[in-house]
Amino acid sequence: MSTVRDDQSIWEGLSKKGVSRRDFMKFCSTMAATLALPSSFVPRIAEALEKKQKPYAVWLEFQDCAGDTESILRATKPTIAQIVLDVISLEYHETIMAGAGKAAEKARDDVVKNQKGKYIAIVEGAIPTKDGGIYCTIAGRTALDIAKEVCGNAAFTINVGSCSCWGGVPSANPNPTGAVGTGEAVSGITYVNIPGCAHNVENATATIVHYLTFGSLPPVDSHHRPLFGYGKRIHDNCERRAHFDAGQFVRKWGDEGHRRGWCLYEMGCKGPEAYYNCPTVKYNSGTCWPVQAGHPCMACAADHNWDAFGPIYKRLENVPGAGYQTSADKIGLGVAAVAAAGVAAHAIARAVKGKPKDEEDK
Amino acid sequence: MAKIAIDPITRIEGHLRIEAQVEGGKVTDAWSSGTMFRGIEIILKGRDPRECWALTSRI
Ligand code: SF4
Repeated sequence: MSTVRDDQSIWEGLSKKGVSRRDFMKFCSTMAATLALPSSFVPRIAEALEKKQKPYAVWLEFQDCAGDTESILRATKPTIAQIVLDVISLEYHETIMAGAGKAAEKARDDVVKNQKGKYIAIVEGAIPTKDGGIYCTIAGRTALDIAKEVCGNAAFTINVGSCSCWGGVPSANPNPTGAVGTGEAVSGITYVNIPGCAHNVENATATIVHYLTFGSLPPVDSHHRPLFGYGKRIHDNCERRAHFDAGQFVRKWGDEGHRRGWCLYEMGCKGPEAYYNCPTVKYNSGTCWPVQAGHPCMACAADHNWDAFGPIYKRLENVPGAGYQTSADKIGLGVAAVAAAGVAAHAIARAVKGKPKDEEDK
Repeated sequence: MAKIAIDPITRIEGHLRIEAQVEGGKVTDAWSSGTMFRGIEIILKGRDPRECWALTSRI
C-alpha cells in the first residue's frame, strides 16, 4: 500500500490499470442513478473523476464483524470493485493492509499528520464507551481515543454499516459495552451515515463521488443518512407489493405462498416502516436483496432495529392497506378508498417524521 | 531477553495482539489476546430464539 498518492487523476489511474472508457462511463452512470440524479449529470461526474486526484482515506475498524469490508471486497463485478478502491487512496485498513503493528500505526499517523483536515475517515464498527472504552483497543489505545483523533482531524467521516452509525449489533439491549456510533462518540465532527447490515458499497461510493463532483456532501435526513439512499420506503419499492395489496401472504415457511413469492408481512417484514434503497440497489452486485430471497426485511438500516423493530419474525402491528384489493372486491370500493387514504396518511406521517435536514461539508 | 508486541495484527478479521518472549533469537513464550469484546452472549439472553442466528452471524 503506497503512502504517497499518485499524481494522476482518478480516471488516469483507472485507465492505466486497464479499465476501459466504456466501463468508466458505465460506472459514472451507475453513480448518477444511485444519487438519484438525471443522466444529464453523467458527464459532470465523469469530468470530476477525470480531473480530481484520489482523496486520502483511513478506514477504521472497531466493534465490527468486517461485513462492511466484505461488502467492498466481495463486489463481484470486477470493474466496480476496482473503481471503488481506486476512487480513494486507502492508506490504512487493518483487514487488507500489508504492514502490521508499528508499521500500520505509522501509516495512519502519517495521514492524520500530513493530510490534516483533507482526508476522509471511514468508520466500520461501534465504539464502546463503558469502563473507559477498554472493550476495543488497537495498539493499546481505545477505539474512542483513536476515533477522536482520526475523525476529529478528517475533512469528514463516513460511517459504513449500522454499528458505526448508531451502535448496531453491540448496542442491542442491554448494550453490555456501552457501544455507540461515531457521531455520538466524537462530538463536533461532520459525518454521513451509510447504515445497513452490512452497508451497500454503492451508497458509500456514491457519497464520495458526490463530494468529488459537487464539492459537498449529499443532503441528509435527521439520522444523517443521505436522502438518495434512505429517502424511500422499502414497502413502496418492493416487488412483492402487489401481493400485499391483494392480501396474498406467506403464512408458514415453505408454504404455497412462500414458494410463489407472496408478501412476507405476516412473517415479520418491516418493509412498511423501513427506509432504504435496498430493493433497487440490491446486494451481491445488484442481483438480490433479502425480500427477493424470501426473507422478511428486518429494517437493518433503521436506528436500533434489533430492539425498536424486533423481534425479526414478529408481525408489525396496524399496517394500513393490507389486502385492500380483496376487501374491495368483497365489500365494495368504499373500503378501498378508506384503506388507500390510510396508506397515504401513513406515508405522509413518516415523511414528516424523517424530515430532511441539509448538512454542509466543512 | 526481550519481549515484543505486535498490535494490530493485520489481514485478519477482528482485533488481535501478539506478544512474544524472545531469548537468543528464539521465541520462548508467546501470548495472544483478542482486544475487542461486544458481549453477544449477554445480548442473546431473553431474546426470541428465532432471531439469534441473525445476531451471532454478525460476530
Ligand atoms: S410487507 Fe415486506 S414483503 Fe410485503 S410488500 Fe411490504 S416490503 Fe414487500
